[in-house]
Formats: sequence, structure tokens, C-alpha cells
Amino acid sequence: MEAQSTAINYLPIIFQILVALGFAVGTMAVTHMIGPKRKTSDKLTPFEAGIKVVGNARQPFSVKYFLVAILFVLFDVEVIFMYPWAVNFRELGSTGMIEMFIFMGTLLLGFFYIIKKKALDWD
Amino acid sequence: MNALITISVLAVLVLYLGLYKANKALLPVTLLGLAVALFFTINHWNVFTGPTFNDMMSYDNFAVAFSGITITSTMLILLLSKGYFEKISDHVAEYYSIILFSLAGILVMVSYHNMTMLFIGIEIMSVSLYILAGIRKQDFASNEAALKYFLMGAFSTGFLLFGVALIYGAAHSFDLEAIKMHLETNLQTGQAISPLFYTGVVLMAVGMAFKVGAAPFHFWTPDVYEGSPSLITAFMSTVVKTAGFAAFLRLFATCFYPLHDFWMPVILVITIITLFAGNITALYQNNFKRMLAWSSISHAGYMLFAIVSLGSEASYGVFVYAIAYSAASIIAFAGLVLMQANTGSDSFDSFNGLGRKNPFLAFTLTVAMLSLAGIPLTAGFIGKFIMFSNALSSMHTWLVVLAVINAVISIFYYFRVIVAMYFKDAERAELEIPLNFKVVLAISVVATILIGIWPAFLPNVI
Repeated sequence: MEAQSTAINYLPIIFQILVALGFAVGTMAVTHMIGPKRKTSDKLTPFEAGIKVVGNARQPFSVKYFLVAILFVLFDVEVIFMYPWAVNFRELGSTGMIEMFIFMGTLLLGFFYIIKKKALDWD
Repeated sequence: MNALITISVLAVLVLYLGLYKANKALLPVTLLGLAVALFFTINHWNVFTGPTFNDMMSYDNFAVAFSGITITSTMLILLLSKGYFEKISDHVAEYYSIILFSLAGILVMVSYHNMTMLFIGIEIMSVSLYILAGIRKQDFASNEAALKYFLMGAFSTGFLLFGVALIYGAAHSFDLEAIKMHLETNLQTGQAISPLFYTGVVLMAVGMAFKVGAAPFHFWTPDVYEGSPSLITAFMSTVVKTAGFAAFLRLFATCFYPLHDFWMPVILVITIITLFAGNITALYQNNFKRMLAWSSISHAGYMLFAIVSLGSEASYGVFVYAIAYSAASIIAFAGLVLMQANTGSDSFDSFNGLGRKNPFLAFTLTVAMLSLAGIPLTAGFIGKFIMFSNALSSMHTWLVVLAVINAVISIFYYFRVIVAMYFKDAERAELEIPLNFKVVLAISVVATILIGIWPAFLPNVI
């Protein structure tokens, strides 16, 4: 096991990035070049599941979407903290168990708070 | 540690009290909880055994002292808040708990022993403050304050984090002691310190200067302080500033001390610009609140003295200065809140004739202004005296000369308030001073005068 990592160790990552970028750029370029081009007004409109496009997408919409979205992100991201804990469950022992319960308890308090505060009520 | 847990649990408790419509109990419970936290803090005096929690936190006397001031100042400011938040909106409990969360972040900031904890503390404090600055949702100035504070604060946090990352790259550790060891061994063995480290130190200095509002990174301060609700401004300019300086001092005094010759000129220049920018601009203000904002910038300059001339007295100097400044500012903001509630104005003219109608309020404001200006027999004088003598002992004679010139400039604008109160007559009704304001004013005035005439009252063993 190496204590120090040098620049050469990151070479695979650079290859990975090059391949990923190359694939995306390459396929786009190739389809543009070899694909047939028939530009009619119907072909150039944005495709939205067969429904006719109505109005501009950049208009104000209800702030409730943001609230629900941010709460979703909040409680969704917390789950990530469960993974490292679950992986190291045995090593962390009962202390880790208690700490996780405190963490989840705090989250639960927050969840109960937003429900009582009617943050998720749409009307 | 107990204080930190108490405050965090208290914040959640207050949130739930608000949920169950126990609005009458909010303030008493908050104050009681803070008193318990203060008791735990003071109880921890002189029982430091070493960094705890995998060397993340270090509850030494420095941490105890600054936790003590910040908790006490918060209690005084919250005492003023009776009936204040109710006028803003119905979500009173949330305001209390956000202030408490901010205080929890501050306790982390003053007792960190690892740069990640510094970052976490600053973030907990700042995110709470961004919300608090904007709690007047319908008020344009409050919105502006919140947005400006958020953008500037996020930017400065970026600088700070970039600095932390570079220092980690050079020293392979976030731990303050380990970084100091890295510097010392490199300096002793004559090995070159990586240029990353120097860049990191400067970036962290920039980030911290942003947070304490030192020039040339002070441009957000006047607008944010003016736009926020006055009580929140009081919190920002006393508690938050104290915590910022405690964190600043801890970082530079314990961690970067071996590189003192490198960063001292940087901080020296920041100090001089801060002093002049704060004092000269404050001269031209017609609005009391904005004047206080600029004066807080100039006081940041005086507190930076401790970091420029890191002596044995540096922590003690910041400690005394922070108490003096907090006490005087709390009086000034209490007067401002009363004035805004009664006359709706915060210009200097609204103080005309106050000396005749409200002698007690006028007297306390006079003491506060004298203390801020650094006139003898007040705490402000002792604070400045320790700072200046500290700087003189490390041969910064010119800095002290410039600072004395600035102290003289500051007398002009502080005395405008006193002149307005006693020497300008105006037809006015007597202001009604509620009991809680009287208590806070009395406590702050007694503290200011007591430290002014008997500074040995404060322990000098931080």
C-alpha cells in the first residue's frame, strides 16, 4: 500500500475523462455528419410527447415547488450518511449505533416539524 | 461541550414550543437555557485537559472566555427582543431558534482545533445570519441585506475553503497543532515551506477579514447592518464580531504563529486601511444606525491590533475589547430600537432633546458613546489601552500613532449623539422605556464602568 500518491496514479482518471468526453463529442459529431438533413418547421419544433408547445418556459411558477424540492433534497441527501455507517457498522459498535440514532432522531424531529408546520400541504 | 449540547437542544425545544403555540414561554425558556449553558461554560474554566473528540475541539480557557462573552451578549440582546419579533411576523419561535443555532455555530468557532470545525462553525453561524438579515420579508432593505450578505458571505467562505485546501496540500493535516508542528520543523531544519502554504495563509486571512468586516473587505457591512432589523444588527455587530475575532486570533496565534514575519505586514496593512476607512466614513453619516455600522468597522481595526502584535496579552486584549465593545454596542442598539419604535426615525436629529426628557437613557447612551470613543474610566479605554500597549511592546509605534489619530477622529462622530441629546432642544414626548430595556441598559452600563475603573476584575489567564 502506498502512503503517497503521485500524479501518475491519476492517469486512469484522465483516460476515463477523455473517453467520456470523446464518446459524447464523437457521437454528436458523427450523427451530425452522416445523418440525413430535412429541415422543415415541424421537424425543428421542440418535441414534447406529441403535445403542441404552448408559451414560454421561463415564467414564474409557484414557490411551493421549490419548497417541496428543497425538502426532498434535504431528506434525500441525509440517507447518504447511512451508507458509510452501514459499511462500518461492526467497527463502530454501540457508540456508532447511538450516534446514528441521535442523527436520525434529529432528522425525524425536523420531519415532524415540517409536517406540523404544513409545509407539505399544497393548498 | 455541555454548553454546545444545551444550546443545540434548546434551539429544537424552542422550535417545538412555537409549534405548540406556547409563545409566552419562548423568551423565558430561551433565557433559562442560555443561563444553563453559561453555567456549564463557566464551570469549565481551568479544567482543560487537551483537545477532545479526535482532536476536533479544544475547550481551553480561551474558548471558555469567548463562549462566556457571546452567550452573555446573546442573553442581553434577547432580553431586548420582548415584543420585537411579534411585530415582524408570526414565526417568532423560528427567530429565536435560528439565533440559538447561530450561537451554537459561534461556540464551535471559538473552540475549534481543526480547520474543518472552523469551517462548520462559520457556516452554521453564517447560514443562520443570512436568514435573520432577511426576516422582514416585505421590507426592501431587509431583502437587500439578506441577499448581499449571502452572496458576499458565500464568496468569502470560498476564499476560506480554498485557503484551507492549499494549507492541507502543504501540511497534510487540518489539525492546528499538526500544522504548527509542520511549520516549526520545516523552519528549524531549513526546509523550504511550500508556496501553497503561503497562498493558503493569505487566502484564509482574506476569508476571515471578510467575516469580521475589515477593510478592504468591508463593503457589505454598512448595507447589511442598515437593512437588517436593528436587534439582528445588534447581534451581528457584537456576538458575531466577537466570535469572528476569536476564530481569527485562534487561527493566527496558535497555528500560523511561526510564519508571523510573513503575514504580519498583510494584517498590518488591513488594520490601517480598516481604521481609516471606518472612521472617516463614519464622520459623514447622518443616520445613527449607519454610523454604528461604520464604527463597527473601525473597531474591527482596533481588534486587529491583537493579531498584528501577537504577544502574551493578545487574547486578553481581544477579550477585554470584545466585552467593552459589546456592552457599549448593546446600549447603543437598545437606544436605537427604542428610538425607532417611538419616532420611526434613526437620524441623529431624532436624539435632540433626549437628555431632558429621558435622563436615564441619555446617560446610558453617553456612557456607551464615551466607551466606544475610548475615554478613560470606561471599558473602551481599557480595551484600547491594552491593545496599544501590546502594539508598542512589539515596536509598532507608527501603528499606534495612526490609531490614536483615528481615536481622535472617532470622538467627533460619537460626540454628535451626546451633543444632540444634551445641547439641542426639540419638542418631544418622553420615550417609554420598558423594564427589560432598563435592566439591559443598567447591566451594560455597570459592566462598562466597572471594567473602566477596575480592569483587574476580569481574569487575565486566558
